[in-house]
Amino acid sequence: MTNPTRPDRSSSPASAEVPGRGAAITVRGLSHAFHAPEGTLHVLRDVSLDVPAGAYVTITGSSGAGKSTLLSVLGGLDAPQTGTVEVGGTNLHGLRGDGLASYRRATVGFVFQHFGLVETLSALENVELAAALAGTGRRARRRSAQRLLEAVGLADRAAHRPARLSGGERQRVAIARALVNAPRLVLADEPTGNLDEESAVGVISLLERVHRELGGTLVVVTHNRLLAVRAPRRLRLHDGSLHPAA
Amino acid sequence: MNWRDAAGLAWSGVGRRFGRSVLTIFSVALAAALLTALLAVAGTARTRVLAQLTRGGPLAGIRVEAAAPNFSELQSDDPAPGAPRAITTEAVDRIASLPEVESVLPVVSVPELVLPTVPGGASGRDGPGPRPFADALVGVSVRDPAVLPVSLVAGRLPTAGSLREVCVTEAYLNRLHISTAQADRVVGTHIALAAPRVFPELAVDPDRGLWVKPEIVGVVVQDAGTGAILGSVQLARQQLAFAQAGLDPGGDFAIPSSPYSGLLVVAKGLNQIGPARVRIADIGYSTSAPEDLIQSVLRYLHVVEIVLSGIGVIALLIASLGICGAMLAAVRERRREIGVLKAIGARDRDVRHVFLVEAGLIGFIGGTIGTLAGWVMARILGGAVNRYLTQQGLAGVRVSVPLLLLAAGVVGSTALALVAGVLPAQRAARLPAREAVAEG
Repeated sequence: MTNPTRPDRSSSPASAEVPGRGAAITVRGLSHAFHAPEGTLHVLRDVSLDVPAGAYVTITGSSGAGKSTLLSVLGGLDAPQTGTVEVGGTNLHGLRGDGLASYRRATVGFVFQHFGLVETLSALENVELAAALAGTGRRARRRSAQRLLEAVGLADRAAHRPARLSGGERQRVAIARALVNAPRLVLADEPTGNLDEESAVGVISLLERVHRELGGTLVVVTHNRLLAVRAPRRLRLHDGSLHPAA
Repeated sequence: MNWRDAAGLAWSGVGRRFGRSVLTIFSVALAAALLTALLAVAGTARTRVLAQLTRGGPLAGIRVEAAAPNFSELQSDDPAPGAPRAITTEAVDRIASLPEVESVLPVVSVPELVLPTVPGGASGRDGPGPRPFADALVGVSVRDPAVLPVSLVAGRLPTAGSLREVCVTEAYLNRLHISTAQADRVVGTHIALAAPRVFPELAVDPDRGLWVKPEIVGVVVQDAGTGAILGSVQLARQQLAFAQAGLDPGGDFAIPSSPYSGLLVVAKGLNQIGPARVRIADIGYSTSAPEDLIQSVLRYLHVVEIVLSGIGVIALLIASLGICGAMLAAVRERRREIGVLKAIGARDRDVRHVFLVEAGLIGFIGGTIGTLAGWVMARILGGAVNRYLTQQGLAGVRVSVPLLLLAAGVVGSTALALVAGVLPAQRAARLPAREAVAEG
């Protein structure tokens, strides 16, 4: 087990790296706590982590171990409370509000367990939405969205609303949406949590293919150990501390 | 995210909970309809009441009599004329040039022997028809009906300058025992009028008349002068010239010596009536104007309008609360979606815009539907009132909904909805992005 205060380098990052435009992650002494009426809950304790640009990392851990919180901080959904977090050269510590939004738009692509698709928009419009938020012009974003839906095998489902898609298809739309702004870091929070085994393998394979072809950094949080072992580098969160996974 | 994209997302939000959106829009529409209908009816009632007070004439109208002034009359609306005094052309010009005066309309009145025609029957002159009677022809310029104290009950006004067309009043109908509700019956019939003239050189039948037989083209309620016949000023002048050329030693026909029996003066506003009356009295003529009455009635009508507007605005405010409540519920339901929006790059203001536009859309759609429905309601109501008034033999009303009122209904509903959307939009904008990964 590694010392949680020391950067984790137990796995071989070199084998997980895809040279290209990925964002390196450097975390030092990150702690995060939630204050509730019942008392303060320390979710992350002095976590340090180094992920080279273009790496593929999976993080496992039991429920409440702090996986989603770590992902939130890395993805700019939450500002780091203590410690430093640097992603792709951007120090997240001082960022708030629009600064964090700008970081999320430009650097991060999210894939959620619950897909996070807008139910009233079609698959194509859902993908376009992320590009619209980044200020991409109407034609350009439509072209990108169509190309990405084609890449994830859903070109013929572009006009369908999420309710008419299967779980696996929804997650593929979500992956397309995560990629539409060409992010340097893709964060997937339990991307297969709501899928059957076959769809889960399909989705994780798609994420891996995207990682190989586009060269971004890929961090996947998952409960599924069978999927977790597919990553060259595996980490485990336990009691708010990060350890190399067995 | 630009406004167009925000509008697209907001529109999809309106469609998300269709039933709730429809109910919210319906509440706004109902309030806007109520406000529009109330204001339209209030506006029509105002016009009707004022028309009744002024007999259809302008609010700032002043009657000038062919008589010397009595300065005590300036303190009241009612005339208290002094000795008769001819209104000369020079006096008309002086009054017209007063700074408080907008326009001057001469009235020429001439006594006439009237031979009516029973609709579908014979005239009194032809045989056993109604008896001839003495009355007066009131001649006015009908070029600008808006400044005439005349309301149409049936038909139309005579053509300007016509020597062949006249209108009659209810007094004429009474002579024929025709109710006002059947006023249409006399329209299209002819009436024989004779301006009297005494020829003293004739030993036998020195009283003669200049006969004309114009067509009755309308029935009116008029306050331009005393007389049952209303015609063009040209017709009246022609008749008066004939009558004044003779002698009327006994005064049996009461032929006026003044070229004008009165003037209808329009002041440049209600507040100019008083000063104008003083100046006209200084020139030497008696005046009257219902200014005090009109001012009082206007004040009461204003209060009624405020009360009715208040009811409509309260309805709109309640509808706005409905919008606010519905949108707060939407924010609660869409916490995760808002979190996801932020996770994929939306700024606080992007989220705020989406919810504000959604509120505005609800207000706009509801306001548009409601305002149009209010307009239709006012028209239907006006039609019913009109039928009732016509049946009662009264001049009808025309419900007019000004374009400005329609635009204000839509704009006001949208603005109120936007205000109602501020709190939910602010709450949505402040939701943390971490809601995207929250359990639930």
